[in-house]
Amino acid sequence: MEIKFTLQGLLVYLTIAAYLSAFVVTMLRRARTGHLLYLMGFAFAVVAYGYRWVHVRHVPLQNLFEVFLCLGMIYPVSLFSRRVLRVGGYAADMLIGAIVLFPAGFVFHAEPQQLPPALQSWLFTPHVAVYMFSYIFMAKATVQAVWQLAGKNPEHDRNLLEPEQATYRLICVGFPLLTLGLILGSYWGKKAWGDYWGWDPKELWSLVSWLVYVAYFHFRYMFGKRRARTNSLLAILGMAAIIITLLWVNLSRLFPGLHSYAT
Amino acid sequence: MNKFRRAILWAALAAIVALTVLSIYGAFIGADRAQAFFNRVPLAVYWVFFAALLAVGIAVFRRLVRVPGLLMMHAGCVLILVGGMWGSKLGHDLQKRLFGIEKVREGRMVIYEGTSENRIVVDDAGREFETLPFSLKLNDFRIEYYQPANLYIETRQGERLKVPVELDKEFAVGEGLGTAKVVRTFENFKMGKEDGENVFYDDPNVGSNPALEVQVTQADGQVATKYIFEKFPGHSHGQDAFLMNYRRTISDYISEIEIVENDKVVGAKDVEVNHPLHFGGYHFYQSSYDDKAGRYTVLSVHADTGLYVVYAGYWLLCLGIIWHLWLRHVLAKMKSKSA
Ligand code: HEM
Repeated sequence: MEIKFTLQGLLVYLTIAAYLSAFVVTMLRRARTGHLLYLMGFAFAVVAYGYRWVHVRHVPLQNLFEVFLCLGMIYPVSLFSRRVLRVGGYAADMLIGAIVLFPAGFVFHAEPQQLPPALQSWLFTPHVAVYMFSYIFMAKATVQAVWQLAGKNPEHDRNLLEPEQATYRLICVGFPLLTLGLILGSYWGKKAWGDYWGWDPKELWSLVSWLVYVAYFHFRYMFGKRRARTNSLLAILGMAAIIITLLWVNLSRLFPGLHSYAT
Repeated sequence: MNKFRRAILWAALAAIVALTVLSIYGAFIGADRAQAFFNRVPLAVYWVFFAALLAVGIAVFRRLVRVPGLLMMHAGCVLILVGGMWGSKLGHDLQKRLFGIEKVREGRMVIYEGTSENRIVVDDAGREFETLPFSLKLNDFRIEYYQPANLYIETRQGERLKVPVELDKEFAVGEGLGTAKVVRTFENFKMGKEDGENVFYDDPNVGSNPALEVQVTQADGQVATKYIFEKFPGHSHGQDAFLMNYRRTISDYISEIEIVENDKVVGAKDVEVNHPLHFGGYHFYQSSYDDKAGRYTVLSVHADTGLYVVYAGYWLLCLGIIWHLWLRHVLAKMKSKSA
């Protein structure tokens, strides 16, 4: 945990503040103001990312700080979900945006770090980035699943799908990314350590997350919307497994732990 | 859906849930025990059952064959399972018994600089060996560091300074503490006597003792020479106004390897972390080294049995899922727009 007393840090904190106030204001039924604040947060996020780009003079996707900074520009995902997938959830997205930026603001170092040999691979960034992207869609799916279980649909918009269908559609978008993350990780494991599967807890939990969504697909195929509550429950379980995957071996202990070279 | 198909789907769901539960159990017992657990005979039965179930599913659900994405992802899973089982410990035992294929599954090689080696250590204690039909010769093992290295300075007031090591570049240490500069670097620092005087030199022989010679000019003009050792951090004298540490960050471990077959050199590669050597059905990985003197390297050896079947499965699985869940819909949308 560290606070960044830099312009870069300030931009991140401004974005988080804008997202959080956007969320609160939206909850207080000031949708228009909330949306404006969300857009403002997005503008800060773009400036933060652009500043980073100018600062490091390469596409800023080479370490975890930069990946989370990138994900902080979540607005296009909201827009894509609404326009293309016909799924709402703007308010939740504001919160997801703030959560995603938290590691960039408080956990990961902004100064370019000297990577240990095992992490010097072109696979590092895509493996992490793809996972994080899928987590955003799965988080959105979880919000919809919770609405379905609660029997509520806060957004009365005829253009949007109802929560059960919205959950399915979001998982359909997130699942290929989840699969890609798993396979890239496995391929990298082979390149770096000699085994494409090492049976370590992080790997097993990521497999669990993946399997829960596989179960979701098959259960939903078998029963359709007749067992809508179970569908939603499986979607939520998937997110629970993802959170455990992320926290099980927390990142600070992950690098010097089993996932490292020559310890 | 008829009863039989429904039963298959229930069995599939049960198999998926079972693997989920087993994986959670595996996560609790740690990697080594989990690996042993998932390779036991009852689990092998489960893996075969799962693969067979997928195959039966493909056979009885017409959509799984007709819809390309569905076929690719389910067939991909079959390939991953089959490839994984073929390359497993039990898989290797079976191949030996049925087809007489003698392939070492995994182990490690210790190779000294300038020598060839064809033995693979296959047990933890280092007593059991298997031999390869070719040898690996280690020309040189080296460690590379990020440049520049750094000199870390901590004053008694707790101020910290990080200075990149550049020869003869003077820098201020802190208020009233004067200046300093690095005047010499050593890879293998040694001390000797010449005419009763201490002399310090870089020993080209085997050994490693990286050090810096730092010239400190105090505020009152007095000059002193200090030696800072990477392997002995935090070493200071009572009268020192500040503490100096020399630290380098490793960027890579490199083994320069030649492959020797029938006394002929048939290939060469610098084996680095993330860049294994692939030859004769095996992958060789930079794994460890002689951390005292850098005289030998340790490569871990893994057979590539079944690997390409697994990779083919990965491709099918990925392409199938991306096609079925994404591209199919994008294409349909584009078609409906243009119509
Ligand atoms: C264990 C044996 C399995 C059987 C018998 C089986 C069978 C099926 C069947 C019948 C469908 C419905 C196809 C349709 O839409 O008409 C299906 C869909 C699907 N299966 Fe499997 N499956 C198995 C394992 C797996 C595994 C291991 C995966 C992992 C990738 C998987 C991924 C999927 C996906 C993603 C769908 C698409 C769901 C959708 O479009 O909503 N299946 N499976």
